[in-house]
Amino acid sequence: MPLTTYIDAITSALREEMARDERVFIIGEDVGAMGGVFKVTKGLQEEFGSDRVIDSPLAEGIIVSSSIGAAMAGMRPVPEIQFADFIAPAMDSIVEQAAKLRYRSAGTQTCPLTVRVCYGGGTGGGLYHSQTNTSWFIQTPGLMVVAPSSPYDAKGLLKAAIRNDDPVLFFEHKKLYRSIKEEVPADDYTVPLMKAAIKRKGSDVTAISHGYMLQLTLQAAEKMKEESGAEVAVIDLRTLAPLDKDTFLESVARTSRVVVVHEANRTLGIGAEVSAIIAEEAFDCLDAPVTRVTGPDIPAIPACPPLEKFYMPSVEKIVAALKRTLDY
Amino acid sequence: MTKPQSIKSPDHERQREDFDSRAPLGKTILRRLYSYMLKCRTVEERIRLLFRQGRFSGNYFAAVGQEATEVGATMDLLAEDTIAPSHRNFVTHIMKGTPLTLMFAHIFLRKDSPDQGRCAQAHCGYAPLNIITPASTIAAQLAIGTGVALANKMQKKASVVVALSGEGSTSLGLWHESLNFAGVHHLPIVFVLENNLWAESVPARLQSAVDDFSIKAQAYGIRGITVDGNDVVAVYRASQDAIRRARGGDGPTLIECKTYRWYGHSEIDPAKYRTVEELEYWKSRDPIPAMERYLQQRGSWAESWKEELLAEFDKEIDDAIEFAEKSPYPDSEEALDHVFSFSIRERELNRKVWAPQISSSE
Repeated sequence: MPLTTYIDAITSALREEMARDERVFIIGEDVGAMGGVFKVTKGLQEEFGSDRVIDSPLAEGIIVSSSIGAAMAGMRPVPEIQFADFIAPAMDSIVEQAAKLRYRSAGTQTCPLTVRVCYGGGTGGGLYHSQTNTSWFIQTPGLMVVAPSSPYDAKGLLKAAIRNDDPVLFFEHKKLYRSIKEEVPADDYTVPLMKAAIKRKGSDVTAISHGYMLQLTLQAAEKMKEESGAEVAVIDLRTLAPLDKDTFLESVARTSRVVVVHEANRTLGIGAEVSAIIAEEAFDCLDAPVTRVTGPDIPAIPACPPLEKFYMPSVEKIVAALKRTLDY
Repeated sequence: MTKPQSIKSPDHERQREDFDSRAPLGKTILRRLYSYMLKCRTVEERIRLLFRQGRFSGNYFAAVGQEATEVGATMDLLAEDTIAPSHRNFVTHIMKGTPLTLMFAHIFLRKDSPDQGRCAQAHCGYAPLNIITPASTIAAQLAIGTGVALANKMQKKASVVVALSGEGSTSLGLWHESLNFAGVHHLPIVFVLENNLWAESVPARLQSAVDDFSIKAQAYGIRGITVDGNDVVAVYRASQDAIRRARGGDGPTLIECKTYRWYGHSEIDPAKYRTVEELEYWKSRDPIPAMERYLQQRGSWAESWKEELLAEFDKEIDDAIEFAEKSPYPDSEEALDHVFSFSIRERELNRKVWAPQISSSE
């Protein structure tokens, strides 16, 4: 199998789904002639035409709303939000329309669309090109929120999302696009939505993460093994909403210790929900308090290196939290 | 008192003349337009009566006074055509053919309503006839309707979308995003702007500095026309023309219909913010008696016909109310249904409690 980057895995998923199903189309800012600011959609307009890879006006509201209407009328739109920081103008469309349409029509009107969102810090993007605002959507029942951590999962989850009948917010971390490679099948495959993955087995402590942070968490787990022989189980949530709680609760029941790692700010981040679920449903299993490694509660990620470094969870911060939890 | 705003734009004036110079509408169409207006008003006045009697909980947003616009803009749509309504377009269900039984089940928030008791009275959709279930966030329906029109075009269907909103909607970004996108992509959609002079308590002059809202269409490269929204013939002709163009691939149109809502924003709004004189002026322009006079002139009127129509409508409404009141409420746990394409009942209702060391083997 060829080694493939995260970005190429996503491009392959889009190309394959467009070839497989003529209802699938792409719409967004700069996605056509330019192939997207990160080149995720490079070559797709040449291949599928400007009717199926639409360079939209610079307006997130209509990018998502036109996708909702088109999805209602039988299409499978894959709108792109260039940066997660730009999604607020589409909030009515996503939260009041897409998330509620099935519910408010008692299942008779639906909008199967997959909103691809580029998110995340660590690239010096500053306040408006770094944000992780997954929590806004996790708190909106009716939306599925997916955030893959690897090329294999990115391709399989995106294909599954496009084929799924619910509105999906698909968060792609810009730092992952070209930083890791993995064996990715050239053939068709999907990765199940709403199913977490055990990315590393371990018996001493469970680390729960997703997205780019999952890669750092794996590095931290390896470091723990090298330094102290501790066996860290690493769970990749993959889908943040609806959450697969059984996979991490099973691991917690084995390890009795938990660290949750995410890039979104702390308050009401996914770590808050994971911690609450553990407290409610696995309280007797715990030998130590649940520990969170997250972004701090500041409005966004500042641009200059020391401030950005302060914001971002790192291998060192994760290792420190794992040690603290093990030493409790 | 707010007088009806003048129609100043020369472009719009020219388009008006095109309509006025055509042959008069046939008597059958005129009688249908009248009959529908009378039905819409009869249904809404009955709903208002039911509200005052406390027969249903909630609220209602009547379009009484605006029937010429409601009927003229939406009569003769095909089943495959889509209506994207606002909170004040409940009666467009009558125009599309939604059974009154389901409409009243919706008013009573019962299981037999198209949304099975979820939406408040203001938000009624009906999937089998392509009426989008609306939301309270103003102008959103135009944006979704624009997406339906995009799909119609991509799928090479001849179906059109009629998207309705009030003049207040033109202050929102999504209104402009919708017209702009529809213009760029030449979509088969008709935007019907019901300028009833008041957005809840705020007058039209505080929404926009223009006299004719249809002039905003020029900014998006689409046709714009202003018509007397209390003249059902004018609205019908403008709408049919726009629908025909949209269906034929000739792009979108914005039709501003200048009209007036007789009652408050909703049944709990006494509308003290406007003058009695203004209301009386507009009541003197009631589209229903105006149409009666026109039919008389055309020799197509009999008072007995109106009596027959009213008796027929009252019977249909009585039957619908009986059906609705007999319809049950949904079971409480149905609140968990239709969140996703799969059921979340099991997950929400049956939580596991985890014990330590369920398995020690790795």
